[in-house]
Amino acid sequence: MAGFTHLHTASGFSLRYGASHPERLAERASERGMDALALTDRDTLAGTVRFAKACAKAGVRPLFGADLAVTAPERPQGDASVRRDRRRTPVRGGAFVDESAPRVTFLARDGARGWADLCRLVTAAHARAGGDGAGLPSLPWADNHGDGLTVLLGPVSDVGRALAAGRPDRAVRLLAPWREAYGDALRLEAVWHGRTGTGPGSLRLAARTVGFAAEQRIRPVLSNAVRYADPGQGPVADVLDAARRLVPVDPAKELDSGEAWLRDAGAMLGAAERIVEAAGFRRDVAHRLLEQTRAAAAECLVDPEDDLGMGAVHFPEPRLVGADRRTAQRTLASRAAAGMVLRGYDRSAKARSYWERMHDELDIIAHHGFASYFLTVAQVVDDVREMGIRIAARGSGAGSLVNHLLGIAHADPLEHGLLMERFLSRERVVLPDIDVDVESARRLEVYRAIIGRFGAERVATVAMPETYRVRHAIRDVGAALSMDPAEIDRVAKSFPHIRARDARAALEELPELQALAGEKERYGRLWELVEALDALPRGVAMHPCGVLLSDASLLSRTPVVPTSGEGFPMAQFDKDDVEDLGLLKLDVLGVRMQSAMAHAVAEVERATGERIDLDAVEEGDPATYRLIRSTETLGCFQIESPGQRDLVGRLQPATFHDLVVDISLFRPGPVAADMVRPFIEARHGRAPVRCPHPDLEEALRDTYGVVVFHEQIIDIVAIMTGCGRGEADRVRRGLSDPESQGRIRVWFAQHAAARGYDAETIQRTWEIVEAFGSYGFCKAHAVAFAVPTYQSAWLKAHHPAAFYAGLLTHDPGMYPKRLLLADARRRGVPILPLDVNRSGVAHCIELVSDTADSPGRWGLRLALSDVHGISEAEAARIADGQPYASLLDFWERARPSRPLAGRLAQVGALDAFGANRRDLQLHLTELHRGGRGAGGGQLPLAGGRKTAPAGLPDLTSAERLSAELGVLSMDASRHLMDDHGDFLAELGVVSARRLREARHGETVLVAGAKAATQTPPIRSGKRVVFSTLDDGTGLVDLAFFEDSHDACAHTVFHSWLLLVRGVVQRRGPRSLSVVGSAAWNLAELLEVRREEGLEGVAARLAAPGGAPDAGADDGDGPARSRLAGSDGLPAPAGSAARDAGEQRRLRMPTGYEMHPWADLRPAGEGPAVGRKLWHQSPGSAG
Amino acid sequence: MTILCVRFQLPPAREAALPALLGLLEEFTPVVEALPPDGALADLRGAERYFGRDAVELASVIRVRALALHGVDCVIGAGPGPLTARTALRVALPGVTCAVPEGEVREFLAGQPVTALPGVGTATARTLCEYGLDTLGRVAAAPLSTLQRLVGAKAGRELHEKANGVDRGRVVPNSVSRSLAAERRFERDELDSDRHRRALLSAAGELGVRLRAAGKVCGALTLTVRYAGPRSRTGPSGGSPASTTRSRTLKEPTAHSAALTGTAYGLYETLGLQRARVRAVALRAEALGPAEQASHQLTFDPADEKVRRIEEVADRVRAKFGPDAVKPGTLAA
Repeated sequence: MAGFTHLHTASGFSLRYGASHPERLAERASERGMDALALTDRDTLAGTVRFAKACAKAGVRPLFGADLAVTAPERPQGDASVRRDRRRTPVRGGAFVDESAPRVTFLARDGARGWADLCRLVTAAHARAGGDGAGLPSLPWADNHGDGLTVLLGPVSDVGRALAAGRPDRAVRLLAPWREAYGDALRLEAVWHGRTGTGPGSLRLAARTVGFAAEQRIRPVLSNAVRYADPGQGPVADVLDAARRLVPVDPAKELDSGEAWLRDAGAMLGAAERIVEAAGFRRDVAHRLLEQTRAAAAECLVDPEDDLGMGAVHFPEPRLVGADRRTAQRTLASRAAAGMVLRGYDRSAKARSYWERMHDELDIIAHHGFASYFLTVAQVVDDVREMGIRIAARGSGAGSLVNHLLGIAHADPLEHGLLMERFLSRERVVLPDIDVDVESARRLEVYRAIIGRFGAERVATVAMPETYRVRHAIRDVGAALSMDPAEIDRVAKSFPHIRARDARAALEELPELQALAGEKERYGRLWELVEALDALPRGVAMHPCGVLLSDASLLSRTPVVPTSGEGFPMAQFDKDDVEDLGLLKLDVLGVRMQSAMAHAVAEVERATGERIDLDAVEEGDPATYRLIRSTETLGCFQIESPGQRDLVGRLQPATFHDLVVDISLFRPGPVAADMVRPFIEARHGRAPVRCPHPDLEEALRDTYGVVVFHEQIIDIVAIMTGCGRGEADRVRRGLSDPESQGRIRVWFAQHAAARGYDAETIQRTWEIVEAFGSYGFCKAHAVAFAVPTYQSAWLKAHHPAAFYAGLLTHDPGMYPKRLLLADARRRGVPILPLDVNRSGVAHCIELVSDTADSPGRWGLRLALSDVHGISEAEAARIADGQPYASLLDFWERARPSRPLAGRLAQVGALDAFGANRRDLQLHLTELHRGGRGAGGGQLPLAGGRKTAPAGLPDLTSAERLSAELGVLSMDASRHLMDDHGDFLAELGVVSARRLREARHGETVLVAGAKAATQTPPIRSGKRVVFSTLDDGTGLVDLAFFEDSHDACAHTVFHSWLLLVRGVVQRRGPRSLSVVGSAAWNLAELLEVRREEGLEGVAARLAAPGGAPDAGADDGDGPARSRLAGSDGLPAPAGSAARDAGEQRRLRMPTGYEMHPWADLRPAGEGPAVGRKLWHQSPGSAG
Repeated sequence: MTILCVRFQLPPAREAALPALLGLLEEFTPVVEALPPDGALADLRGAERYFGRDAVELASVIRVRALALHGVDCVIGAGPGPLTARTALRVALPGVTCAVPEGEVREFLAGQPVTALPGVGTATARTLCEYGLDTLGRVAAAPLSTLQRLVGAKAGRELHEKANGVDRGRVVPNSVSRSLAAERRFERDELDSDRHRRALLSAAGELGVRLRAAGKVCGALTLTVRYAGPRSRTGPSGGSPASTTRSRTLKEPTAHSAALTGTAYGLYETLGLQRARVRAVALRAEALGPAEQASHQLTFDPADEKVRRIEEVADRVRAKFGPDAVKPGTLAA
């Protein structure tokens, strides 16, 4: 017999409902002999594309549908059966999630029309729920119609419920409106999950449904309401139910039956027989039930290619982008030509090459018919620029002259040798991709502008499913299993951010989880269930940059839901899906550095009246490059990470091109392929420049014979084989695949030989192509990146105070704010404390006039917005009301909330009003009380407007620092390590500044606040923990290799203040790091020192666990330094340490190995911010 | 140094054992003030002469007896007044009595955190700490007027006196324990209101039986619901799991199980719990008094009369066949 078709199947995209991925379902359906399978996720079509692709692979015909809650039609008053009493608001725990709405399955039947109807229904259901997430999505009755749909009324529909309640009369009444709306397309769905009683899944309800269908002359179908692919996944479904309803699993209640899996045809026939017998029919009627099901499936004909629009492209209508009279192509050509004239290229010496390049590009664009795409992007860029928002193109699009002429990209591609072919060529048939960077703070404004320009029916943001990873999985499973919340938290936080399915493997292998592994039996089924949740979507967020631009048919091709919060329209598909669906996506990335620079420029203008045009800053500024070469590049775009500072130190960039190279080299690929060392050697003249043939000299000269850019590979291949750059780009793409690499090699040798190159040249060239080909970086990207890098470094060199003001306001980069503040202090920028009479909403600069010897010295005034818990309105009110004459004046006009006023007093923002900070607190409280009561808040005054003291003890210096950390998350008045100087001196800790003079191989103690910790992928496949400490005098970069992990990893991940013993590694005049061998939690040691004295500290240091046996004797230093490659990363020759991870090493297709746990966000809670750095003194306010 | 403050280390489930332990103290002195749920103040002024030992020695005797008779360890603080004794209790460890001699009260108090002072709750402590008055020494040093501005006129004056070691309190004997408690725990996070009610029914039934057995009636009922959830931030050792407490005064003092159950249900309903993860419910009968002094409103409804008579019979059955011999149908299932 033919296979059964499941018409009602939920995948993991049904948030916290389905337990299997769509791929798994398609696979299983094929294995179990089914020809077709429907995907009907709850409230979403997000799984559609993945499902369609998986079905194509598995050879199963996909059916598309959705399972939606439906709001009952409005009834005349009188039918009070559904009215309920309002329940009392719970004092704790919140209300139950209301899932009482009846749910119905809709299947798209008539091709594109059916799909459009389905999209419309899903959109309508979500529109009602509103963007605030208050209600669950539910389809209003008014929208409940669609000619191209088949509707299944199952056990949880209103009709099914009436039948379950034994009210066929009511079922008849409820059926009427459905019949009216869908007529013949209505089906009754019988489900048997082996439950008892008459509820959903019971045999009696299934039989009643079939009987009722016969009576009402509506065709019945059989389904299994599938939630998971395989038997035995019931407990996972229970956990998902619990997570959705926000309650624990209750074994005494009805659990999942365990039957809702993708049962094969035989089992479904068995079920059909039981049901029809129970309904009082003969057994062979079962075949008719199955026949009806089959017929319903056969009607649903939606073709993924034709009807979903996969593979087709939809650009906004040309008239919307300024091409209403002429064709888009003509418009584009004339605008490009105008750009030539505007930029003066037509009058330059190379005018001819510019014109040729332009016409070539226009031909390619015309060939693909992408003209309106370019016009669309240009329109967006123009609109954004008009709003005064900084915008810059990034990505390969920067290689196109047309983009440059339209004003999309800054850099002149001819000048920098960027190729159009890397972006778009005749041979490439994928959608071109232009990304634009805008100021992050104004990104949403940009979105609104785009929506305003093209209309909500053409624009949508892209969804980004959040999937279960180990921490969330542990939290949800733990809560479902009634684990103690504190314990759940502890277990979850001990894990690094890894995949859920690796939970048990990680327990076995990661040193920092050893303690937890010891007690893992205690948690019973937890681990198994955690792993079962792996990668299931648990929520949907708006993708941070993708914007869909389409023609007016967008809403009939994709379901659009409002995002929570902003209420932007958001397509339910993720970024990969939209590409498959042929929707045009423009990536609008919010870049905080752009915001920071905009703020810095605005500050300079506000304070000095000087207008800086960053885009016109003179190139090759010596002070800027001096700053970059000094590696004090904290806060500079792209070159602030420890690895980059190291690389910059060795590379010593002197020109813009050097920056471009530097950015290109610091990528996982180049680092892994060891392109860094030969480059540095050649640059400093320690190694000869390699060039296999004079023809290639032009392509390779700039990078000393090392291939750094994609563009160079394209050039080399094009020159050697004469195949043209478009083809060469295709070849380049093939290089990363080992299989096609072999073919390309033969092809390359043949063509190059045909062009008359000798065998040795071919061989040597091929070696270069092979070694670097797949790793190079797109030069267009690098040029686009290097522009803000240079601009930010320029700002740091010339307007440091404004630069830091911008950084602190928009918080870009990888380091916590307090580290930037420490950097500012080190670079001599005066930090001015928070003051309600002077501070603005954002950080600003102020002339520090009291230093007569250096006039025009600018200081950084801290911002109100950094005060913990301040609202935008409050900050604005305080700033608007300045200046304030007295505390009372401040209280009355700025109207801060009581806690906010208290915090301001704590950090000294009210010091100008007299009295000490605690006395001010008391006055504030009384003002607050006075305001609440019947007026009469008389403030005791002493000496005019000053506030009278009340005799309370003032904050001690330590308390002040603690308050700053607590309120501002920054140690504003001094560095937090300053207070521990005595103890650090006792220990003989070397400060970061003194470390610069340390010998290579010396064993030192370093200490500081942890700033950033990473475990990046390393070529050798080892797991190396990199961390940065900040001790007030500078930064110390640390590396921990695998042999020290057992002893150190936990401490490093879970402490804020660290004391580390290690060996100095020196690789250049400005390049230095410490290889750690032992680590202690400094906060703990400080506590011990305070309470037990040095003896206690000695006892702590002597204890095992802190340090391993003899990790860092002097003999180890040089050996280790040889192991560590000159690129600052360990060389492939492994150390002696072997571990279980070795077997699980991931081998990349290109041959380099990766440690399975590398490249994770490590355990713990990220870098230390705020009060965590400080012991909480009992005297400080909460 | 004649006042002892004793805290028995009772697990929450055994709160009901307090009356017996108070009896133990009463063997030494009649002046015993119960501090429910697990503590007591005892004035040993007379006992010192009678037993010929000083208060610290007597404290050891009490500890030994409590351990021997009841298997319950206790923590004891001793001082010249109730205030000092209670403050001393905070620093005392099991097995070591913390005694504060007469002349050293001020010095002792100065080093204590403000929360050590009885009457200073979390709210007051938070206020004081916010202003840097985190130890009693600092409180004592602060001007009276400032203290009064901080916590109010009366409370400020009291705080000022107490922090300076002026102890006006005395031990007020409250002959018997004033409350009885019954607690029901759940195996897992329980959300089901039927099961909550069942637990309440069982606990109220137990209270009724115990009250009637002791010949008492209670005037008020307190319901405490403990949740699995984030622990409250205050309190020693991370605090206890969060809980909600509600009290209600009964219409008339009673030991009638049905009346207690009805009140318990009423208290429970006011919480309106839906998704709260309940780990335990506890009922406490308070304002206990002798049954013979209780009044009872008669009604014309014969049902009430019948229920009471059945209860009487059930009590007798229990007396004969054990506490589990008779129970409500819901609980028997």
